Amino acid sequence: MSNIDRLRTSFRTALDLSSDFDVDALEYRGIEKWDSLAHMSLVATLEDEFGVMIDTDDVIDMSSFGKAREILQKQGVDFAG
Amino acid sequence: MALINRGARLIDALDGRVLAGDDLAAAVARAADALSGKRSGVVFARFPTDVAAVVRYLGAWEAHRPVALLDPELPAESLLELIARFEPAVVTGAPDGAAAAGYRALDDTALGPVWERIGETVTPHPELGVLLATSGSTGDPKFVRLSRSAVEANARSIAEALSIGPGETAPTNLSLFYSYGMSVLNSHLIAGAAVIVQPHSLLERPFWQMIERFEATSLAAVPYQYEMLKRLRFDPAKYPKLRTLTQAGGRLRAELITDFHNRMTGVSGQMFVMYGQTEAGPRMTTLPSDRLPDKLGSVGPAIPGGRLTVRLEDGTETGAAGVTGEVVYRGPNVMMGYAERAADLTRGDEQGGVLVTGDLGYQDEEGFLFITGRLKRFGKVFGVRLNLDDVEKLLRAHGPVAAVSGDDKVVIWVEGASEGAGHAIASELAERLNLHWTGFDVRAIDRLPLLPSGKIDYKSLEKAA
Repeated sequence: MSNIDRLRTSFRTALDLSSDFDVDALEYRGIEKWDSLAHMSLVATLEDEFGVMIDTDDVIDMSSFGKAREILQKQGVDFAG
Repeated sequence: MALINRGARLIDALDGRVLAGDDLAAAVARAADALSGKRSGVVFARFPTDVAAVVRYLGAWEAHRPVALLDPELPAESLLELIARFEPAVVTGAPDGAAAAGYRALDDTALGPVWERIGETVTPHPELGVLLATSGSTGDPKFVRLSRSAVEANARSIAEALSIGPGETAPTNLSLFYSYGMSVLNSHLIAGAAVIVQPHSLLERPFWQMIERFEATSLAAVPYQYEMLKRLRFDPAKYPKLRTLTQAGGRLRAELITDFHNRMTGVSGQMFVMYGQTEAGPRMTTLPSDRLPDKLGSVGPAIPGGRLTVRLEDGTETGAAGVTGEVVYRGPNVMMGYAERAADLTRGDEQGGVLVTGDLGYQDEEGFLFITGRLKRFGKVFGVRLNLDDVEKLLRAHGPVAAVSGDDKVVIWVEGASEGAGHAIASELAERLNLHWTGFDVRAIDRLPLLPSGKIDYKSLEKAA
């Protein structure tokens, strides 16, 4: 699976969304399911899935799917392929 | 009797304005006067976390109007059901749209949108002060009736136990219609301290900016918020004024208690673990920070004015050390009783200052309480109390199920469930109970363990949870 699909799958798992839910434009609190509790589970899921440590500022700044992608990219996850 | 003492101030985090002294008194008086001009009886206050709502609450208090503090996110049908059942005289913070049947919608200059009852309603008991919903989620929510003197007594005891003085500043980190959130507000106002009224969660940058800008000195949080603070690698060194943490709202795992105690004492700060129930308005015990390491796992001795015993199976009570039984609390902060319908609002004190908690525990030789379990079948999810029998009833269609209490979550065992079914059941419960799905840990089991009596062996399930 490509990294972008792994990211999508992580979002769907952590936010309890169906497997065909379009997550690419999601924003924090943009849907009911992405609340503060789900956010913690999302951070944990991403850390496990990509083997990274997401620091405090990034936990707070991870306010959209796009932001999550940027933060992971900064940590060396390659989304080019 | 006053809930607000000299020096008390409300800081509006949205615009930085401070409401204090004569201005605060005048704003509260305006709200009180406006309420006095409306039909007399109980006030339903929808309570978002903003300064205007706090002023309406304090106005109701000043006007000697019993006030029910309500979740502003309560679905419309639930609000209408509560209104039909309790027949409040006035609803403040009224939602947009048509008023409930039997009410007229007004836009009051001091109170904002209000629904006023058109016909007569019950005259509440003169000592009634605040009504708080028990778990608003399973079955029909009922109200805990707190007298004015109970609310004040608890606010004073908390201020004393936590040494809250005029120099303290607490942010609203918990909902104000929730007993712990209300108690943070009340204990600071009565101590002449400051409350930063702010709507953000711990996970939002404005929250931490507000902590710095308004120099918060304490933070009150429930177990799942401590998990968040850990995830955020909360470092009190970054916030030189923030030197006190308090924890209530259910059991926090010992590892995190020690962790946060160390973080705070590392900067000469303090961490208080507390125990309470809405029925006690809510605080019953507080563990002094300096005793935390040698009393790890305890929730501390009774707050000033309170007394603890345990009740044994034969009905006798004892204050002796080391004896486990059902925890009984006595104090001036114990509720008057419950209310399930309008007529109950007229009732006086039915408790006599005694609260049988439904929790199991023991005291040590110094009177420090250790909670070891629950007698009543209750669980807590994100600080919200759930009746476990009700949870099981909701899941009857799934065959034999058993719900037990875990650390800030409910663990549900479902006989013969498939792997994927667990997730669907958690989602279903979350939707029906209006709680987050991660609060339900649904597990498959071949056969629920039974006692010789044929009843479910909850003890063994609790161990496995």
